[in-house]
Amino acid sequence: MEKRSILHMLDPMPNNSPFDVNMAMDAGFDVLMPYSNVKLDSVYRLTQDAIFSRSPAGIKRTGLFIGGRDLELAMDMLDACKQAMVPPFEVSVFADPSGAFTTAAALVACVEQALKAHHAKELKDCRVLVFGGTGPVGIATGIIASLAGADTALVDHLLLDSALDVAKAFNRRFGCTLKGECARTEEDKATLIAEVDIIFCAAKAGVQVLSSAVLKAAQHLKVVGDVNAVPPLGIEGIKRSDLGAPLANAINAPGAVAVGALAVGDIKYQLQHEMLNFMLSTDEPVYLDFREAFNKARDILIQKK
Amino acid sequence: MEKPFILHMLTTAKNLSPFDVNMALDAGWVSALPYTNVEASEVQGLVQDAIFSRSTKNLTRTGIFIGGRDTKQAMDMLKTAKRSMVPPFEVSVFADPSGAFTTAAGMVASAEHELITKFDTTLEGKTILALGGTGPVGQAAAVIAAQAGAKVIIIGRQLEKAQHVADMCNNEFGDGKITILAGADADKAEYIKTADVVFATGAAGIELLSAELIALAPQLKVAADVNAVPPSGIAGVDAFHNGTAIEGSISKAVGIGALAIGNVKYHTQNSLLKKMISSDKPVYLHFEHAFEVARDYMATRR
Repeated sequence: MEKRSILHMLDPMPNNSPFDVNMAMDAGFDVLMPYSNVKLDSVYRLTQDAIFSRSPAGIKRTGLFIGGRDLELAMDMLDACKQAMVPPFEVSVFADPSGAFTTAAALVACVEQALKAHHAKELKDCRVLVFGGTGPVGIATGIIASLAGADTALVDHLLLDSALDVAKAFNRRFGCTLKGECARTEEDKATLIAEVDIIFCAAKAGVQVLSSAVLKAAQHLKVVGDVNAVPPLGIEGIKRSDLGAPLANAINAPGAVAVGALAVGDIKYQLQHEMLNFMLSTDEPVYLDFREAFNKARDILIQKK
Repeated sequence: MEKPFILHMLTTAKNLSPFDVNMALDAGWVSALPYTNVEASEVQGLVQDAIFSRSTKNLTRTGIFIGGRDTKQAMDMLKTAKRSMVPPFEVSVFADPSGAFTTAAGMVASAEHELITKFDTTLEGKTILALGGTGPVGQAAAVIAAQAGAKVIIIGRQLEKAQHVADMCNNEFGDGKITILAGADADKAEYIKTADVVFATGAAGIELLSAELIALAPQLKVAADVNAVPPSGIAGVDAFHNGTAIEGSISKAVGIGALAIGNVKYHTQNSLLKKMISSDKPVYLHFEHAFEVARDYMATRR
């Protein structure tokens, strides 16, 4: 009899996210085991307990998922898992803290597609701002955009130092070239967006970051993408289901188009499903983070065309 | 392909009860996932994570169970969960802290069954003593019986605590429409003179009603005891009793023991867990629904 597939779900938080649980079951894992309050220094041992208790055939039906809310910690845990593997005793690992990696990957891929379709441009030709840039989705969005060649700045709404610290830390770690900015006031926002091509909005749900008045300042704006699905939305005038619809409120940037939260959410959902599914179908163990998520999000969008 | 049935099991305690886990899987839930030490403030986030990660079609195959030990906390969490739904993104929720709701429902329905079959009467207007009634099972049984028309008195060793619990039951669970009273354990000999029904829901191994007191009860009809560990909570009622005459009762009262109640409780919890799966529309289940199910079950035995 084929062994049942098991996903060990490691989470530094007191509980796993029911979101990830539903997604993992629906992707085809037979059994889910939650491990909560997991510390980084227990990851090595947990990983080895998982790999040494099944035959190499059974190991193919075994996976590790890393959740939580902290992007750096999740990446540290992913690294710790990798180090703990003893080939051929090796299983696939997928990190997606707060779903941030798959959300960011879907967001950037959707915006990239709109950029190509409506402006015939590539990310590497663009200046990019990420509002809510110091949260998990914002940081992952910034890294993906920067690694794709865009001139990218993370924007914090309170402190310039927060943005600069985050940018520096992740530049060192992933070889990207993020900058840091701060936008406390409407004037700050207007100044920042005047010259940029792309705006990502990854701020808190229910917070409007850019009003129509501020959007007037944008001269070169080509695409905006928003992940906030709770009204008021992050950008005034955007609709949740927009996928390349004109952003009429950017009156000085004719041709600017929008990507809304439900359009991103659709791709994110499909993406997370496929990533989890991939862990079950792959012959070789895989280590999945925002980079693989972005590649797969791009594939999904190409297939949809 | 049909998606698997997933039950997200929330508890304020540091572990789930293996009882509830077994019950959930046996009722047809394919996967039962624990969320422990859950605080009231976390319920909305957990519920919304659960509802936004499946299509509305598959949400009918998703549920939330609320355990823990505290009845009010569980009812508050049930209300929060209901408020957190974003129709059509909505799932069924079932609260049964410590299994108290289904145990209480099993006990009250069993007692009612004896009243009907052996005394040709109902719960309406009966005087009921809930001995050791300040705990979860006692609270839920008091509320269920009061809602069925009985005059319930929660008896505790500390009158002040019993009064506090009675007030809480009336206001929080009875919406102010029931009037459960409180009495001191020291006055039991007086209360027993007018009692029709006695529920014993105290801690295991404590005798709450002695043979002497039973001999003083001129109108006692049914005595039910949820304690399965000797000595029993009611003298002369053992765990296997199921409508069995109580020795020494001048009013020919019958006893119902823990195993008989447990059987109805088991059936009730199983039915409610299945109802979450089979219902087309989301349902929010607590002690009232447990009593409906337990009553229907007992009616099939008549």
